[in-house]
Amino acid sequence: MLARCALALICFAALALFAAKTLRVETDFSAFLPPSATPEQRLLISQLRDGLVSRLMLVALHGADEKTLAQASRALAEKLGHAAEFDYALNGSLDQFAAQAEVLMRHRYALSPQINAPHFSAPALHAALVEQLDQLASPFGVLSKATLARDPTGEFLATLRQLDPGAMPALRRGVWFSGDGKRAFLIAQTRAPGFDSLRQAEAIAKVHGALAALYPQVAVTLTGPGVFAAESRRLIESDALRLSLCSALVILAMLLFVYRSALPVVLVLTPVAFGLLIGVLVVQALFGSVHAVTLGFSATLIGEAVDYPNYLLLNTARGETARRAAQRIGGTLLLAVLTTVASALALTLSSFTGLAQLGVLTMVGVMVAGLTTHRLLPWLLGDRVLEFRRLDVPTGANIARARWPGAIAATATLCGALWLGYMHPAWWETDLASISPVPPQMRELDSQLRREMGAPEVSFFVASRGASEAAALQAGEEILSVLQQWKQGGRIRSYDSPAWYLPAPATQAARLQALPDTAALQENLLVALRGLPFRPDAFTPFVQDIAAARMEPPMNRASYAGTPLGAKLNALVIELEGEWLVLTPLVGVNDPKLLAAELAAMPAGKSSLVDLAQISSQMVAGYRREALHQTGWGALLILLLLTVGLRSPRRTWRVTAPIAAALVLTVTLLVAGGQRLGVFHLVALLLVLGVGLNYALFFERPPADAAERARTRLSLVVCSVSTVATFGFLSLSATPVLHAIGSTVALGALLSLILSALWARPRISEMHV
Amino acid sequence: MKMRPSSMPALFIALMALLVAITAHADNFDLARLMQLLTLSPEGEVAYTEKKYSSLLTEPVVSSGTLSYRRPDTVEKNMVSPRKERFRIAGEELIVARKGIENRYPLSSQPLLSAFAASLRGVLGGDAELLRQHYRLKLEGEEQAWRLELTPLDDEIARYVERIAVSGRGGHVEQIEVRESGGDRSVLQVR
Repeated sequence: MLARCALALICFAALALFAAKTLRVETDFSAFLPPSATPEQRLLISQLRDGLVSRLMLVALHGADEKTLAQASRALAEKLGHAAEFDYALNGSLDQFAAQAEVLMRHRYALSPQINAPHFSAPALHAALVEQLDQLASPFGVLSKATLARDPTGEFLATLRQLDPGAMPALRRGVWFSGDGKRAFLIAQTRAPGFDSLRQAEAIAKVHGALAALYPQVAVTLTGPGVFAAESRRLIESDALRLSLCSALVILAMLLFVYRSALPVVLVLTPVAFGLLIGVLVVQALFGSVHAVTLGFSATLIGEAVDYPNYLLLNTARGETARRAAQRIGGTLLLAVLTTVASALALTLSSFTGLAQLGVLTMVGVMVAGLTTHRLLPWLLGDRVLEFRRLDVPTGANIARARWPGAIAATATLCGALWLGYMHPAWWETDLASISPVPPQMRELDSQLRREMGAPEVSFFVASRGASEAAALQAGEEILSVLQQWKQGGRIRSYDSPAWYLPAPATQAARLQALPDTAALQENLLVALRGLPFRPDAFTPFVQDIAAARMEPPMNRASYAGTPLGAKLNALVIELEGEWLVLTPLVGVNDPKLLAAELAAMPAGKSSLVDLAQISSQMVAGYRREALHQTGWGALLILLLLTVGLRSPRRTWRVTAPIAAALVLTVTLLVAGGQRLGVFHLVALLLVLGVGLNYALFFERPPADAAERARTRLSLVVCSVSTVATFGFLSLSATPVLHAIGSTVALGALLSLILSALWARPRISEMHV
Repeated sequence: MKMRPSSMPALFIALMALLVAITAHADNFDLARLMQLLTLSPEGEVAYTEKKYSSLLTEPVVSSGTLSYRRPDTVEKNMVSPRKERFRIAGEELIVARKGIENRYPLSSQPLLSAFAASLRGVLGGDAELLRQHYRLKLEGEEQAWRLELTPLDDEIARYVERIAVSGRGGHVEQIEVRESGGDRSVLQVR
């Protein structure tokens, strides 16, 4: 026996070593996003993964006086602006815009919307100069003087005014602050896409490190999609580890209490270990990597896989070898494994990578655990008879024989089903955020900071398409007149068009062509200066700049290299699937339907309104539909398996009825507790189905005698305690996914056990079949 | 009567004493005294003429209007000629009314704005503490002809304003000269 154990150990160690060497864990949450059918959905996914919004990090400094916070804000912006992890860090201060302002100043004649030929005629120039004279004499003259000689017609200001984002945080001491002056704000754009949690974690560490070195007394709060990704990875990892450890300890303690001997405990853990390890390896082989959520889920496999060896060992009679017991209960065990595999099979076929991984892990893990229990354990033990004290579990015969608990359960189930039917579909989750593993408190903090900053969340944008970048920019420009009308009518709060700072090449060329040649300009200027106190040569720089602008090639993306606007352009003017897209984010849209219709009615018809919330809820609905279909097919398959395996419709009914009731009651209790059912709840219900059917099958197996009945009772109590312990701990997790699965399965398993005990036990008359 | 020679030194001493007393009085005119005088001067409205000198101009641009101060912190500059324009600093805001459009800027938003407001409020209200937050102060002259020079402490402001020189008589401000960093300057003269 020792030799066999050593062999098994060596096999296991080799597998474990292999796994440790090759395992690649990824946390891209979009693995749990549905593969998107429509272009809009693909756009949404690409935006969520690595779009502009996904890269923005919100930094709030607090815990010091206003002056210190303002200094810390400037120092931090300077430091992050030069860090490799960030494209830029903005804090509202003017000097930050120096590099960007230089680009805008240099290309003002290509950018300014007010440029046309009459703009430089003598009367227009005269009017502009009179206005400049007023400015010069005002207290703000000190500001306008800086550009007056080069730009008397005010193109630079016109360009800047156009770029004014409208809603911005309040300024104090020249940097962004909350209204009450308690928090200083920065917005940083990370180089890493939002989903890359590892590099996002590096960016977060950079902020903390920089601030600790500069202003250790200032506290910092960070939010944003990337921060969420990093934080949820950390949470999932620590939760999965901590909670798995807790449940493992509880299970170990229970096993030691039940068996009072080390060998059976080790034997019980063997199938779990093999199942988990091989399951993870198969997932890795099929998908190339294992998702962190899948790994977190592996904890749930423990709860189920540990049932089989327990059932086997606790069912061995005194003096019986494990091999004989395995033969005796083999049929039931096989059916139990097959039903769980059937429930997981549905997931495996899912088109979502994340769900498919969960399915494969469960399926392979359960099969391996079942096989190990049925074959490996008896082989390891050989002819050795395991001796351990068999606990006696009270039969509760009075309750079991009484009819009223069953009747109450049936009534409750019926009421629950009716109530759920009445409330449908209010209890389905429609928010895509429910899929994200971010705890609600973090999302709340994020929206609170956004409110304080006056930076509303973008829920709409216009996508303008084109075969080339130039064509897309042209399409993006065509919508500006519509958007401007809507803004003036107060039907849009603000919009932010990339076409403002990167006009289509044709628009730029038209503006530059409208510039007069040097001789004509000088002549007009001479006339315009008449009667004004300006020195005759005061505007030589202006004449030179216009001459230079006429020679300039059109500006492009590269003109903005290294500036915040450049980073923004890269996020808003994108190539997706061989097509160019210009994205114009909108804030505060009053009547999305009307706007969508107006955009669709435009002659070119290249722009459409993208409603992020609507697309995401469509996606969730599609996601749920698929999960429901799969659950349905899985349930049908299980029913078929049971009918064939049990060879009796009546026994099939006895096994399935309590589990169906348990599922209904679980959903009722969850919904009554205020939860909305999302995809992860459905997955968890599939698990309940698998685990619950195991119980019902074990209960239903007609026992030979009273001793066997006692053994069945004990094994079932042990199984259910381990399941409830595992999933109960999981329900403590702050990560929504793990919490949903944990609470659903713990509740479902408990209800399954109780209802199986009430309904699935064979009638006395059938005892000796 | 012939003066005794011995009385000559006595007279000299008396004259010296008087001189010293006068000088001592002049020495007594310091920043605290100026601030006290400014604090005591009545609120009200005065007419002004402002001349803006710039390297871009052949002759200065002249404007005129009224300047008024109300305790504790309201300063209003009403330009009447060559056009109507109103700058009003009140509470935490600068309000600019120009061409029928009113714009409001929170003073705390930009250092330049808060320094600009502080220079007017500090001088007109006699608030040395407020002035010292933004400027280095240098006082010259005597009570009836003083000149107070404000040099910005903050580099951010020094980028635009080199110094502000305020001169006056007793508790009355007579002239405010702002010298910009580029060499341009404006001189506001109270009439």
